[in-house]
Amino acid sequence: MLTFMRNKLVDVEITDRDAYVAYGFLDDHIYSLETTFQVNGADMTIQWLKGHWNRYTTPDCPLAEKPLQGAVGLCLTDEGFSESVHKIVGRKACRHFANLILECCDAIVKAREMLEKKEKGTQKSLKDPVLSDSCVHEKSACPEKETLPGRIKKNVRIPFEQLKDAPDGFTIDLHVHTSPASPCASSSVDEVISEAKRIGLNGICLTDHNYQWDPENIQKLRDKHQFLVLGGNEITTVQGDMVTFGLDEDIQGIIALKDLTEKIEAVDGFVIAAHPFRGFLVVSGDKLNLDIEKAAARPMFTLVNGVETLNSKVTVDENRFCGQVAKVLKLPVTGGSDAHVAVEVGLYATRFSKIIRNEEELISALKSGDGVPVNYRNIQQ
Amino acid sequence: MAHLIYFSRSRCTTVEESSEGIMTCACRITDNLLDARVQIQAALPDLEIMVVNSRIDHCLIDGMATAENKLQSLLGVRIGPGMLKIIKGLMGDEPACTELAYMAEECCQGAILSLTRKELEKAPRNPEDSRDHFSEMVKTNIRLYNRCVAFSEGSTILEGIEIPGSK
Repeated sequence: MLTFMRNKLVDVEITDRDAYVAYGFLDDHIYSLETTFQVNGADMTIQWLKGHWNRYTTPDCPLAEKPLQGAVGLCLTDEGFSESVHKIVGRKACRHFANLILECCDAIVKAREMLEKKEKGTQKSLKDPVLSDSCVHEKSACPEKETLPGRIKKNVRIPFEQLKDAPDGFTIDLHVHTSPASPCASSSVDEVISEAKRIGLNGICLTDHNYQWDPENIQKLRDKHQFLVLGGNEITTVQGDMVTFGLDEDIQGIIALKDLTEKIEAVDGFVIAAHPFRGFLVVSGDKLNLDIEKAAARPMFTLVNGVETLNSKVTVDENRFCGQVAKVLKLPVTGGSDAHVAVEVGLYATRFSKIIRNEEELISALKSGDGVPVNYRNIQQ
Repeated sequence: MAHLIYFSRSRCTTVEESSEGIMTCACRITDNLLDARVQIQAALPDLEIMVVNSRIDHCLIDGMATAENKLQSLLGVRIGPGMLKIIKGLMGDEPACTELAYMAEECCQGAILSLTRKELEKAPRNPEDSRDHFSEMVKTNIRLYNRCVAFSEGSTILEGIEIPGSK
């Protein structure tokens, strides 16, 4: 049964040699919107833009029309143009307008290339359209199942006990992002550390996206702030984001989880499935009815060493569900804020029974299961 | 002077859901340079991509055969938050790859919007009541906060809602 359809129509007119006008129309089962804008052919910047809704969902959607003007002045050929449109139009106005504007901009860039080729007389003709056989490949819904390796580490969950050297526990936010190391973060590392100190955390782990911190710089931060700062990483894999410790390798691009865990195993490090059920129970509000047994049987859990059961970027229900799945799996559990601005640091954290002084002690504590996820800021209030 | 169109594009994305919870999403594009279709299948509730098909009927973009093969790297990717980064990363940034990656993204967005539509059917038509409904949505799904102007500070939907870490 057809449950959704979206149609987008884009036309590009070249008004004179130096200007392109795009007419975009998006109509689907939920939204209907239009945009018209002009791009200067000389510098490829957006000169003016109009946009309006035909149909929308919330009573505040009409507010989106005004901030669309933020796109004026953006240059289509700039590196990061698409990200700018998502940030300026998508976040401050509406992502569906951003989608349509980017569709129009892509059409303008292609129109310009066609024009240039035509002028150079090198444009290919359409005399022999490239015909391909349908390229059909099928694979099971659980592609990892066929080659499941054994669990990398047999982690045994031990009960949390308060030991002598940290009678009140030693609390570290294991999942923190900083700017500019993480492009999506907006607070500097100094701001984040200052805030972590202010709220009484014992330490933080820098886990910027696919970013390898220089150990010397981390040491400088420790010295400067007289505060425990540990190095880690949040690496994007085909199976989702993974927080890692102990891996001294700058991994760029998307890696398969199996390849990542092999690297982690080789250095005796630790890999945590970050927010593994983000968006699983709720996709824009709709209940997916995922049950605990099925969730625990996901192949990714045979590869990771621990599970992040408290994360501030997921819903309360998703955190609760993740905790239930981790209980079935008997894997070590952690908490981390996933802070992208300083005020978020410490929303969630992990409490250890012993003082942690460096990455080695952290990994050792995590492997022994000596970590309890805590709702840190709430506890402090 | 006649206002003639120099470049034209039509892109259509559809989502069909079977009674067994299999979502079949297809994106078709027709423009001056490309006539193509990408289809993916994912099963509820995991929403992991388990089938990817493609068909190119005409193409003036180099490297399309390689891009079609690369589409198979998307098998196992889960439709949901973070998927765009993964799809882009797996497909790479060659022109033909970005075309097909975008079509796959549109399929995935279609799947999410199809589920969103079901939720929106529950929203009251009366603006006041619907405001309460959307306020509740943001409260229970923090990811919606700051997602767009309607779910940001200053909107009536967020009036009276306290978002952790927003102050």
